[in-house]
Amino acid sequence: MSKRIVEAYTGEYAGGKSENALNRALALARQGRIVTLVDLDIVEPVYTLRPIQEELRALGINVIAWKTAETVGLGEAGTTLKPGARWALRHEGDIILDIGYGVEGTRTLNLLEGAATDQDLQVIAVINISRPMTAEVKDIVEHVREMGRVDALLNNTHLADETTPKVVQEGARVVAEAARHLGLPVVATAAVTSIAEEIGDVDCMGNPVRVLTRYMQKAFW
Amino acid sequence: MSKKIVEQEKRAFMTGNEVVAWAALAAKADIMYGYPITPQNEIMHYWTRMAPKYEKSFLQTEDELSAGFTTIGGVMAGRKAFTATAGPGNTLMQEPMSMAEMMRLPTVVVVQQRGGPSTATVIYSQQEVTMTSIGGNGEGMRIVYSTSSHQELYDYTIKAFNTAWKYRFPTFVLGDGYQAKMRESLTLYDPEARGIELIPPEAYVGKEGVPGKDRPPAHFRNTYNMEEELYELVMDALQDYEKISPDVAEYHSAGIEDAELVIVGHGIVYRAIKAAVEAMREKGLRVGYFRPVTLRPLPVPQIKELMASNKQILLMESSYGQLARLFKDVAYGSSTKINTFFKPGMGITAEEVEAAAREILK
Amino acid sequence: MPQSWRADTKPHKFCPGCGHGLVLKCLGQAIDELGIQGKTVFGCDIGCSLLSWDFFNLDSVQTHHGRTTPVVTGIKRARPELICIAYMGDGGGYSIGVQHLISAAARDEKITAILANNTQYAMTGGQMAPTTMPGQKTETTPYGRDPETTGFPLHGQEMVASVSREEAYVARGSIANLRQLKSFIKKALENQMKEIGFSFVEALSACPTNWRTNAAETWDFIEEKMPVYFKVGETRKNE
Repeated sequence: MSKRIVEAYTGEYAGGKSENALNRALALARQGRIVTLVDLDIVEPVYTLRPIQEELRALGINVIAWKTAETVGLGEAGTTLKPGARWALRHEGDIILDIGYGVEGTRTLNLLEGAATDQDLQVIAVINISRPMTAEVKDIVEHVREMGRVDALLNNTHLADETTPKVVQEGARVVAEAARHLGLPVVATAAVTSIAEEIGDVDCMGNPVRVLTRYMQKAFW
Repeated sequence: MSKKIVEQEKRAFMTGNEVVAWAALAAKADIMYGYPITPQNEIMHYWTRMAPKYEKSFLQTEDELSAGFTTIGGVMAGRKAFTATAGPGNTLMQEPMSMAEMMRLPTVVVVQQRGGPSTATVIYSQQEVTMTSIGGNGEGMRIVYSTSSHQELYDYTIKAFNTAWKYRFPTFVLGDGYQAKMRESLTLYDPEARGIELIPPEAYVGKEGVPGKDRPPAHFRNTYNMEEELYELVMDALQDYEKISPDVAEYHSAGIEDAELVIVGHGIVYRAIKAAVEAMREKGLRVGYFRPVTLRPLPVPQIKELMASNKQILLMESSYGQLARLFKDVAYGSSTKINTFFKPGMGITAEEVEAAAREILK
Repeated sequence: MPQSWRADTKPHKFCPGCGHGLVLKCLGQAIDELGIQGKTVFGCDIGCSLLSWDFFNLDSVQTHHGRTTPVVTGIKRARPELICIAYMGDGGGYSIGVQHLISAAARDEKITAILANNTQYAMTGGQMAPTTMPGQKTETTPYGRDPETTGFPLHGQEMVASVSREEAYVARGSIANLRQLKSFIKKALENQMKEIGFSFVEALSACPTNWRTNAAETWDFIEEKMPVYFKVGETRKNE
């Protein structure tokens, strides 16, 4: 098996971090890899995975996230960082981290044992230019700079059901331009199957296209 | 003048709370006062991120009593002021809103309903209908818009400021935890570019000139000595409220003319109702829907007309009859049966709507 | 009569011997001397302080019990150029609205809060307040306030001072020394005018009606008994 993959997906609220983390974990699992998916969203705790946790576990993914029924007063009180998440990087195999939004940005990684020294860790900022706060190059640059450690960008531009290849490609252009300003690579453009098929293997900027299945519509507290 | 938040119309993919913050800026709100409570927090998060860029202010208060009363202060100072809350916070908000009702203050409050009674869940419900519409010690002289989508959250948050300042009754945008957190696309626009006139605020206190010299002082109170004094004041306000009600009340309906069954619901439940009615229509079932947008005041003539039409009614909501109580009050006198489907604190899907409808049509 | 008083609402509606009229006279004189009548907004609480709702030739608002501090804070935050005064009693400031007063002090709101302390709830008929003296009879402590079961009088001014910044102005005056009380109120307003910080003045006040005291007893209570618990002076001053 090739080198261990450790990726942290971060970015603006509702930018698509959870969806991309989820899809990445599934894609790796389908390749027969051992995958741990970690919910590190502590601003909007446990939003992400109910009721799809069981579905993921059935596919062989090790999920470290609260089940809603396990917590009390979520969103307001209580332990929102699942204790097991703290040692997530010690797990065998690939580790996909879903990092919530918040003014502290990727400083959330400080809560993880070994994050500062993990050689394999890559922090990926997920950007959707249909989100008004990250609509333009300057907004994205400012936003990513405020986040703290970011190693790469991912274009996740979409407009839900109204998404067209044009919308996604425009995102690819803007995100690539922002990445150039930031001196960061773009790891991929993500799009749902029908759009991804129209675009092909690479987007207009030459970055690989990842096929997404939207699971998050089913997920809530 | 500060720059506009939306220079040109565009489609955007957003969460509901974020939409409210953008709408308030588009409506030229001046100041938000707020206290954290889930599920409305991101309204404050986005307001505090954007407000300084548009020369707007924010104050995080010590509780919702203070959030409500500082909002009253902001309004009396002649600024478009608003706050947002939910659940137990909305309970505390009833005290300041009763003062706003008494003194005809154009406060704007966004409520993202959560489960109840008490602290309950932070997720979703429609259990703050009674409290928001007729809460506090008062007569329910309030205007309440119940939204069902992000576009409506945007449209009606903008409208709420206009309605409040035009009619001078406390105005509420009633959303819920699902709307607050869910993500969908909407069109952001500058209301003035669409020809919507934004009604300017007006100072109650701190007006030009020296009081007692250049002009009489502006003295405001909510305490009265005589029952007769209070009676006259409240009756005047009620008369105004009744007079404006036909202009303020809004509703949506479809398929009612030939329907055997009309499904009634508000807010996000209306989305499920609409989807189910459209699906059933395609299958040839004679169903329709009636959805009040304003819960206070309700569209009274339309409800009376509906109840006089001898159709079956199915009223559905995520509470144990809070809309039903308001609706039945208007429907009083009609012999039409009102079937009900109550799921307090739980969402209602289109499939459930269809199943409940088919049960009645059997 | 101070210029900033509204003549056609005088004589005022407070009881004979009430301290409110004296506190408000000091406030009126301070406003006159500072020349701020044209930009001052006055907020008053519930309790006897509400009788001041039309007392001044100032734009004024009477709020709910304890809620004058947030209403006035809201006005100030929306219109920082105005001079904003919150006027309340000890029940409003130290009991039902204590979180508002303390939080306004802690946030260093640029407002002036003035609190008349008469050791009980007067308008509701003389019940125990946080400031009621040990042994003092009220309608809810008919055998006298027992500190064992109801605690000792609250040192409200000191409590406010303890959360206030150094630049704040926090003082306790008394209607037994009007010259001093006026100077405290004036300094409090100046603190706001110079945008320095929060300002607060507690005034030891009298309620002969509920105390059931004659003139000699009233003055004895204010001058001798109250200062045992409530020390007069400036606790925070920016000099």
